[in-house]
Amino acid sequence: MTDFRAMQSANKRKTFALLFFMGVLVWFIAYVAIAAFGGTGAGVIPLAVLITLVSVWGSYFASDKLVLKMTRAQLITEADNPNLFNVIHEVVIASGLPMPKVAIVNDPAPNAFATGRDPNHALIAFTTGLLDSMDRDELQGVVAHEMSHVANRDTLVSSVAATTAGVIALISDILMRMLWFGGSRNRDHNGQQMPIFLAIIPLILAPIAATLLKAAVSRRRESLADATAVSFTRNPAGLRSALEVLARDTTVVQARSNAVAHMYIESPLDASVASKLFATHPPIQERIAVLRAMEANPSSSN
Amino acid sequence: MDISAIILIAVALFVVYAILQYNKLIRLNISVDEAFAQIEVQLKRRADLIPNLVETVKGYASHEREALEKVVQARAASTTASTLPAVAAADGALTNALRGLLAVAEAYPDLKASTNFLQLQEELATTENKVSFSRQFYNDSVRNLNTAVKTIPTSFFVGLAKVGEREFYEVEDPTIRNAPNVKF
Repeated sequence: MTDFRAMQSANKRKTFALLFFMGVLVWFIAYVAIAAFGGTGAGVIPLAVLITLVSVWGSYFASDKLVLKMTRAQLITEADNPNLFNVIHEVVIASGLPMPKVAIVNDPAPNAFATGRDPNHALIAFTTGLLDSMDRDELQGVVAHEMSHVANRDTLVSSVAATTAGVIALISDILMRMLWFGGSRNRDHNGQQMPIFLAIIPLILAPIAATLLKAAVSRRRESLADATAVSFTRNPAGLRSALEVLARDTTVVQARSNAVAHMYIESPLDASVASKLFATHPPIQERIAVLRAMEANPSSSN
Repeated sequence: MDISAIILIAVALFVVYAILQYNKLIRLNISVDEAFAQIEVQLKRRADLIPNLVETVKGYASHEREALEKVVQARAASTTASTLPAVAAADGALTNALRGLLAVAEAYPDLKASTNFLQLQEELATTENKVSFSRQFYNDSVRNLNTAVKTIPTSFFVGLAKVGEREFYEVEDPTIRNAPNVKF
């Protein structure tokens, strides 16, 4: 696909489809819970939803401040780095977004991330390693990619995906524990339609499926961010070149964990461990190839 | 439910729909105005940088009168332009004049090395980019508005909203991306 607008539409459609399937999965697990565990199963559902909502949405609302702490990022002002602010300000004008807060992470590994509950509370951060290894056009490509996450409300989308996956995982977890610790005592007294042993398979598989779907959503949003970045800069070569720099570099960011991995422009988790299906980002060579196709077809970047 | 209640609900729904479409057109039109104002902000920034640039260059290359004159004249013309075609034309002329002046400056190593000039170059480069991006954003806004104005069903409400198609910002010269080698 060489047209960034078509790419944006396709990724949005796919995200919607994936979130829809995740929703279906929640209903399916809820059905299993009620069918196999009867009243107790039905009681677990609101509990799981409440716990997940509080933890996911609590962190969503405070995402900008929370992430600053978790990644040890330092907020900076225009006076601290006027050239960086110029680059960001240019993307702000091209995108029509408000100026985000800017932070620096002291780390030799090149990486960047964006967070914040909406464009008015956005934060973008860059490692010192990234600022040292990119030229102006490449840096602008990275800035545009991060601002795209803000524009596309990706913190919100991933919170929705995380909530759905979280609810599924929690329901399965609680019910499996009940099974293990003697839920069978209730078997004949709760009026359930499904024999408990049949519930085991979906209870084990559903969380895995949810994680796979969540990873797929993350990959679509990364792809969307690449396309939206081109819609801002109209310069696919900048981002492509930046990704090539990242592909060549093998150092990894220090302050990383599963919780924040998905936000970085390049996955900071060990590539050999995460297989393609669980990956939060599309393979970097694929991203580079897509951008190259846009460069080869200049009329598509207008 | 009898037929008059159904008709009433249908009318109410239609009124709500009409309001939404009307507001959409108004909002899109206002964003085009805003985007145009943003171009003018950036153009003014550029115009304000120019006297400083002219003085710095004059300090090292005073006999390059032709290039300097072109810039000064183009700047004067740009401050008086107000309609979109006039602004676009003046903007294009000034961009060309500036490019000419910077090309001339290449031949003066003392000028090129002066910190004043280097800072001005970054300022100019970023301002040119901002002008270019604000033009792009304006054209994006115009595209969104024109698409809404011409596509069904929003097109039916164009008369009511008194909103029409707007013109794109066309520049003769393709926009240049300035990327000097600066350390961050």
